[in-house]
Amino acid sequence: MPRGPCAGPPARGHPVSWVTVVWSMAASACLTLAAVHLLVWSRRRAAWADLLFSLASAGTAAFAGCELWMMRSQTPEEYGMALRWLMAAAWLITVSLVGFARVYLRAGRLWLAWTVVGARSLTLLADFGSAPNAAYLEISSLRPVRFLGEAVSVAHGVPNPWMPFAQLGLLLWVVFLVDASLAAWRRGDRRRALVVGGSIIFLGATATIESVLVFREIIQAPFRVTPFYLALVLAMGYELSSDVLRAARLTDDLRGREQLITLAADAADLGLWVWTTPQDTVWGTEKLNPMLGFAPGELFSVKAFLTHLHPEDAEPTRQALLRALEEKSDYSTEYRVLLPDGRQRWIAARGRVETPARGGAVRMLGVCMDITARKQDEAEMLRLHADLAHTGRLSTMAQLASGLAHELNQPLGAILRNAEAAQLLLQSSAPDLEEIRAILADICKDDHRAGEVIDHMRALLKRRGLERVELDFAELVNEVLVLVQPDAGSRKVRLAVEVPATLPPVRGDRVHLQQVLLNLILNGIDAMSDVPAEQRRLVVRARQADARAVEVAIADSGRGVTAAKLERLFEPFFTTKPDGLGLGLPISASIIGAHGGRIWAESGPAGATFYFTVPLGGEA
Amino acid sequence: MKDGSSEPTVFVVDDDPSFRRAVSRLLRAAGHQVRVFSSGSEFVESLPAPGPGCVVADLQMPGLSGLDLQAALAGSDNPLPVLFLTGHGDIPTSVHAMRLGAEDFLTKRASREALLDAVTRALARDARERAERTRVQEARARFDALTGRERGVLEHVLRGQLNKQIAADLGIHERTVKLHRTAITTKVGVQSVAELTQLWLEAFPKGQ
Repeated sequence: MPRGPCAGPPARGHPVSWVTVVWSMAASACLTLAAVHLLVWSRRRAAWADLLFSLASAGTAAFAGCELWMMRSQTPEEYGMALRWLMAAAWLITVSLVGFARVYLRAGRLWLAWTVVGARSLTLLADFGSAPNAAYLEISSLRPVRFLGEAVSVAHGVPNPWMPFAQLGLLLWVVFLVDASLAAWRRGDRRRALVVGGSIIFLGATATIESVLVFREIIQAPFRVTPFYLALVLAMGYELSSDVLRAARLTDDLRGREQLITLAADAADLGLWVWTTPQDTVWGTEKLNPMLGFAPGELFSVKAFLTHLHPEDAEPTRQALLRALEEKSDYSTEYRVLLPDGRQRWIAARGRVETPARGGAVRMLGVCMDITARKQDEAEMLRLHADLAHTGRLSTMAQLASGLAHELNQPLGAILRNAEAAQLLLQSSAPDLEEIRAILADICKDDHRAGEVIDHMRALLKRRGLERVELDFAELVNEVLVLVQPDAGSRKVRLAVEVPATLPPVRGDRVHLQQVLLNLILNGIDAMSDVPAEQRRLVVRARQADARAVEVAIADSGRGVTAAKLERLFEPFFTTKPDGLGLGLPISASIIGAHGGRIWAESGPAGATFYFTVPLGGEA
Repeated sequence: MKDGSSEPTVFVVDDDPSFRRAVSRLLRAAGHQVRVFSSGSEFVESLPAPGPGCVVADLQMPGLSGLDLQAALAGSDNPLPVLFLTGHGDIPTSVHAMRLGAEDFLTKRASREALLDAVTRALARDARERAERTRVQEARARFDALTGRERGVLEHVLRGQLNKQIAADLGIHERTVKLHRTAITTKVGVQSVAELTQLWLEAFPKGQ
């Protein structure tokens, strides 16, 4: 508020004091702007431009007051005091505008800025350090000058030697502003450079020149720089308020986008949430609350949320949330929610910690999705896999059992027929004892044979670790051929074995290697079901591959395997047979792998060949 | 063709030597004449003189299987009945075998009675079929003596045509037809057209 003597209410016939009206209005307008922008800054601490603008406005208000005080001064002392305070206000305006240019235009040389601030501050020190102020060493007299239809005071005295320095500071200030505006202009920020930079320079420079002219008494007028500063403040205020408008529009946009995101989330059956940690409140979109067992619209705490979880999931979920907060990392977890109606839902949650730039509340934003159906599918898949594995084992056993039943019925049948023959022979008056002795010997032999078959079957069906011994490969193959012979015979497949007599013994587990041979031979037989019977031929070959291993090849004369299928043959559950399970080859591969060998397949138009290697005997 | 009355032989075909020996022992002890073969192909290649008998074969054998053996035998001029033995009776194979005319289908551990009964049944069937075949062959032999022209006349006679119609159809004199008819009955050795028709149906049960 103007601090000069008040003109009082204008009476009829008395002229209105325009000086008082104009300067008071300028000061109050500036104070209002200062208050508004101070309020803006207090709400949004990052808005430094508003604080600096507020300071510049307050400075301008003070400046206006001091000017009015000067014009109304009755004594040189009073004038000197008013001028001293005016220069303090000028200091505030220039320094805060330097800051404003830096912040708002994001331009201006830093060293120049500090130089300006330094020069202005030195002037301020000189202002308060010398009497009566930095402008005069001594004010000798006041004289009235007419201004806006009334008499106002103008000083006359000895200029202070500090004055040129103060004016140099102002000049530097203008130079700094020109430089900053040009930089902003060149960067492409032309509007701001023009409105803010341009007006500061023009009005600042004009105000400076005006004050110099008045001080030097080149023009006979009082100090009246306020209008320039007021215009400056209004121009910047206009620009800042358009920023506020833009922010409001952005807020509207954001709200629209938020609605859009909520809509999309709802459509995708997602629940969005925001967890404000200090208050421990969770806000969620419409879908979220029912998903987690809360009433729609209810704000709930994470603590309450954790009580809705399956007891096994509550602690891990709490840990996951804490870890995400601590490490500022992403949060991702799955948990079961027990709904009030007793149902259980699987929820997948993802989140991200949002740390405010400066000391605000830590928030976590995220999304929840109901994955109950997927979890049920997974459980179903697991069950199916287990079933398949079981069926696979049963089917292998059934396949073996069929071959072994035949094997077992041979000796048992022979024993029966021999016994029956002996019974018949013994009915005759002179039994052929020699023949009966031969029969009994055969019975013993066949019984032994049946026992071996049972032992073999038991060994094949039993789950056991590797028992590596030295094995004669030809013998190994022949034992398997005995098993597959019935199957091969009834399917018109000729089996051939090409194992050189000089082949050294191999080292491995008899039963496991036989299972591999069995799998590969049965596969080969299956592969030839659609070629003419006379072409069905399966050969088991073995040769010494190198100093360490024997290479075994099982070659069929079927239609072969396509390259694409060849790559996938050893994958579990991959099968080319209509009723196959796709387990034979993966099991074979794991057995060969455990022996330190290699298994692979090759295919051509004349059939497929499966190879595997087994280490030679003698190697530990 | 008199070996049709000689002692029937049971041919045992099985790749398992022990079982083969045991079965042949039992059959011999039961009074049968037995010959053994270790594979289907060995049996088919050295098919013995077409005497009476039956085959007891393993269904699953390497090389020529039981069913192949049966098919080969059925196409030969001594189609002996085949009795299958199997380690494990699987239904599709047995149905197939029976449909192809297998005498019987037994597991290797079937009872002695079942086995011996089946062999007896097979031999009886062979004897029956063999007698039937002999009769047909004898009847055919009687018709074989006819000349081409006589055969032509015979066809018309069997159709029940009168001499006049036959003469018109063949473009010959009615008296010539009569001469041919007399020659036919004399050569075949029958008294009447009825007897002639019956003998023809015996020789060629389903037409020519």
